Amino acid sequence: MPYVIGSACIDVNDKACVDECPVDCIYEGDRKSYINPRECIDCGACMAVCPVEAIAQDFRISPEEMVFVDDNRTFFDEVLTGRSEPIGTPGGAATVGRVGVDTPLVADWPRA
Amino acid sequence: MHTDVLIVGAGPVGLYGAYYAGVRGLRTVVIDSLEEPGGQVAAMYPEKPIYDIAGFPSVTGRQLIDGLLEQAGNFDPMLVLNDVAESVKRSTDGLIIQTAQGRTVTTSAVVIAGGIGKFTPRPLPAVADYIGHGAAFFVPHLEAHRGNDVVIVGGGDSAFDWALALNEIAASTTLVHRRAKFTAHAATIQAVQRAGVRIVTDAEVVRGNGSPRLESIDIMTKDGNVSTIPCTSLVAALGFLADLGPVRAWGLELHDNRHITVDSRMQTSVERIFAAGDIVDYPGKVRLISVGFGEIATAINNAAILIDPSASLFPGHSTDAAVPVAV
Repeated sequence: MPYVIGSACIDVNDKACVDECPVDCIYEGDRKSYINPRECIDCGACMAVCPVEAIAQDFRISPEEMVFVDDNRTFFDEVLTGRSEPIGTPGGAATVGRVGVDTPLVADWPRA
Repeated sequence: MHTDVLIVGAGPVGLYGAYYAGVRGLRTVVIDSLEEPGGQVAAMYPEKPIYDIAGFPSVTGRQLIDGLLEQAGNFDPMLVLNDVAESVKRSTDGLIIQTAQGRTVTTSAVVIAGGIGKFTPRPLPAVADYIGHGAAFFVPHLEAHRGNDVVIVGGGDSAFDWALALNEIAASTTLVHRRAKFTAHAATIQAVQRAGVRIVTDAEVVRGNGSPRLESIDIMTKDGNVSTIPCTSLVAALGFLADLGPVRAWGLELHDNRHITVDSRMQTSVERIFAAGDIVDYPGKVRLISVGFGEIATAINNAAILIDPSASLFPGHSTDAAVPVAV
């Protein structure tokens, strides 16, 4: 159900979506941002403002972008490099600030 | 004030709860932090058609809320808007709720239908000092802006709706949006353009001028150019931020720090406090308005037997003559 940020965000990371999200559930990694799937309320406000159309609903995402459905979850549920515990559900990105780390998939994503 | 049931949240689920509490003959107070009933539906997408309300192939948010208000209104629930249920305390036979505006509500039961939480308008820091002195988040009365130099900030439906309405009576109307792309409906955007509203895109309000009232604002475009435009009324229509709000401190068991855990009666971990709709969680929870309608009927009927243990859980069918009908 939640919205998912895909590969088009990588190295663009415009963050227009962060300003729109009414529940502050878009967290900034390093090369891209990630939507917290357990905090997203499915309103779609982020999708409308993304300048690179990187955002889609998880069940409407293109097959090649499907990997980001799990990857957005990984960002919150797994322990990222240099951190001692998963981000989990802090209840708002502002409480965490810029995370500055990506998932392995995004960190290793080829640069354009 | 005293009531049988206090419903927290005047969104679709809370309003339907007010109807159902009326059916059960319970006195009802509904409290909401927004200035208008309808919750998320009214605040975020009043004109968006909804297709999954039983019996309505297509209904706009506004139509749905109007219908729910009419349905509940037959039982005269008390609607307390622009106020927040702040804290809860136990009394010998019920609960005492203190509100942010200083009201005290004693009630036998509380049903939290708070959706995604308490809404607060997204702030516009550059004019924070002018809120109430020329700057506002809402337009409750168009007439207050007559003859003013109006600036509306934002690119969504509210911004465009207000621009269209205020342009009729303002000395000048300018819409400022920090991006080139709008999220409002295309038809509304066209209407605003046709009406001759000045639209400035890729621009941010960086400063308000005037003392104590707002007289002008400085806006900065993407290229760094700053210009001053006259502004005696500013409306910041930047959307809302939602947060679980004071309910977080009520000692209720939460799931994922965001949703209230309930059992099959919609009872929370605290006696006399029930919850329904998007705010609750249990295994298999589906967050849809239609599910919330069922949940709050369950919550109210279970609250009814808590309040009067001799009452039956089943309220009867609304088609039965013995069930109170709309007067």
